Amino acid sequence: MIILDVLSLLQAPFIQRAFIISIIIAILSSILSIFIVLKKISLIGDGLSHTAFGGLALGYYVGIFPLWIAGITVVLGSIGINKALRSTKISGDAAVAVFLQLGLAGGITLLSLARGFGVNLESLLFGSILIVNIDQIITAAIVAAIALGIIFLFFKEMVYITFDETQARAAGIKTWVFDYLLSILAGVVVIIAIPIVGVLLISALLVLPALISTQVTKSFKQTVILAPIIGLITVILGILASVILDAAPGGTIVLVGLAILAIAFIGKRTQSFMTRQKRL
Amino acid sequence: MSEAKPIVEIRDVSVKYPNGVMALEGINIDVNQKDLIALIGPNGAGKSTLLKVILGLTKPTSGTIKLFGSPDLSKNLKYVGYVPQSAQARDPNLPFSVYETVMLGRTPIAGLFHGMKEEDRQKVEETLKLFGIYELKDRKIGQLSGGQSQRVFLAKAMVAEPKLLLLDEPTSGVDTTSKKEFYNVLDRLNKERGITVILSSHDIGVITKIANRVLCVNRSQFFCGENEDFAADVEIHKMYDHPVEIMDHHDHP
Repeated sequence: MIILDVLSLLQAPFIQRAFIISIIIAILSSILSIFIVLKKISLIGDGLSHTAFGGLALGYYVGIFPLWIAGITVVLGSIGINKALRSTKISGDAAVAVFLQLGLAGGITLLSLARGFGVNLESLLFGSILIVNIDQIITAAIVAAIALGIIFLFFKEMVYITFDETQARAAGIKTWVFDYLLSILAGVVVIIAIPIVGVLLISALLVLPALISTQVTKSFKQTVILAPIIGLITVILGILASVILDAAPGGTIVLVGLAILAIAFIGKRTQSFMTRQKRL
Repeated sequence: MSEAKPIVEIRDVSVKYPNGVMALEGINIDVNQKDLIALIGPNGAGKSTLLKVILGLTKPTSGTIKLFGSPDLSKNLKYVGYVPQSAQARDPNLPFSVYETVMLGRTPIAGLFHGMKEEDRQKVEETLKLFGIYELKDRKIGQLSGGQSQRVFLAKAMVAEPKLLLLDEPTSGVDTTSKKEFYNVLDRLNKERGITVILSSHDIGVITKIANRVLCVNRSQFFCGENEDFAADVEIHKMYDHPVEIMDHHDHP
């Protein structure tokens, strides 16, 4: 009975739209997650998503193009975070925390002043499969295609910087350009993922796919192949769980991702244990 | 690039850290083609800083540097291979195979907007074989021993066929046998292929023998000259502030 209910729900256009945008977001965020995790800047997603929240709040407060204003604040935030990350005067995690607090504090203040924005705040924070429209899918597809095109063009330079920034600089690569590029691309993911995953849990999509795949892969090539597969499985199962449980997709997607991480981690530990036993 | 022109020209180079500490003061040296220069000095003497100055990673507070005759260091970095001090310290989870690590060395040759070509892949395979690490090509870089890792990073630095090799304490944390093999390879690269090398190390006894010139620094320049003129017993004592015995490695290259 439940299966039949779910199957009929899956035919609903709003669910199909949710799946399509999630697949687009999963592919882009999974590829970016490899660079973010290996460069050890995993908190950047949190900083950017909270900056986006501040931007959205500002947009709703002034009543014009909230997503565009959020986009501008995220790009400015990503430039600011990157500048702070590169500074020797403040530590990287503290720099991200400052932007996170600024975005959240600004958003909450504006929210209080406006006595709500006339939008469903819960959807904004935790995501919703109900609010995705065709325009958002088209925008997400175009933005993802451009972002993936940029990554493809500069792939080998980004890989080198991810491997070792000092060696990349010594090879004549202008690493600062690519650092800014990476944080701006992460900001772009945050903006297109807000409708489905919500502000609070976007950063998980920029971390989990790479974190899971690096537990099992032996090369960068394998990681580039596996991370998007993990990302796709995570969002598809997460949305299915969201439909079945009637829960916010942001939460279910991240819980599925964490479950896969736990399985990968346990699998890796078991394999190491068995290898050690064989040697004995 | 004329034959007679030095590959690296360092004139009165000083580096002062933002906290006011002088890292290097008044360094002068011309590095000529086919030189193998032993860069020696105690920990914190500024050896790594000097190599970074040559690469343009650290800007000198005063003085000038020319690389292949040009003050624009970035222009000629593709002719330089570099193995940093931290090269062997890798996160065991870093998902890079030995093959991919060596392939990274071809990045400056391939150029912006271009992917790796068949020629790059062939060069990587040749280099892996040359350094005896072909059978390790699918292994994860973080799971190699110190000696294997050191060969991989030397291969990565050599795969772009550089004219100048900068090696920053490449044998630290490596066993004696691997060190011996490493210095043999380096000696061959210098003598047979004519590659200019600046090698920073604490293995003074060995490197001052394979090197044709020695540069001793301890923030300032203590000695710079031909190998045979290197008055080790006097200069090194002064530089290290305590007696140093130079071991004669009979089995050195």
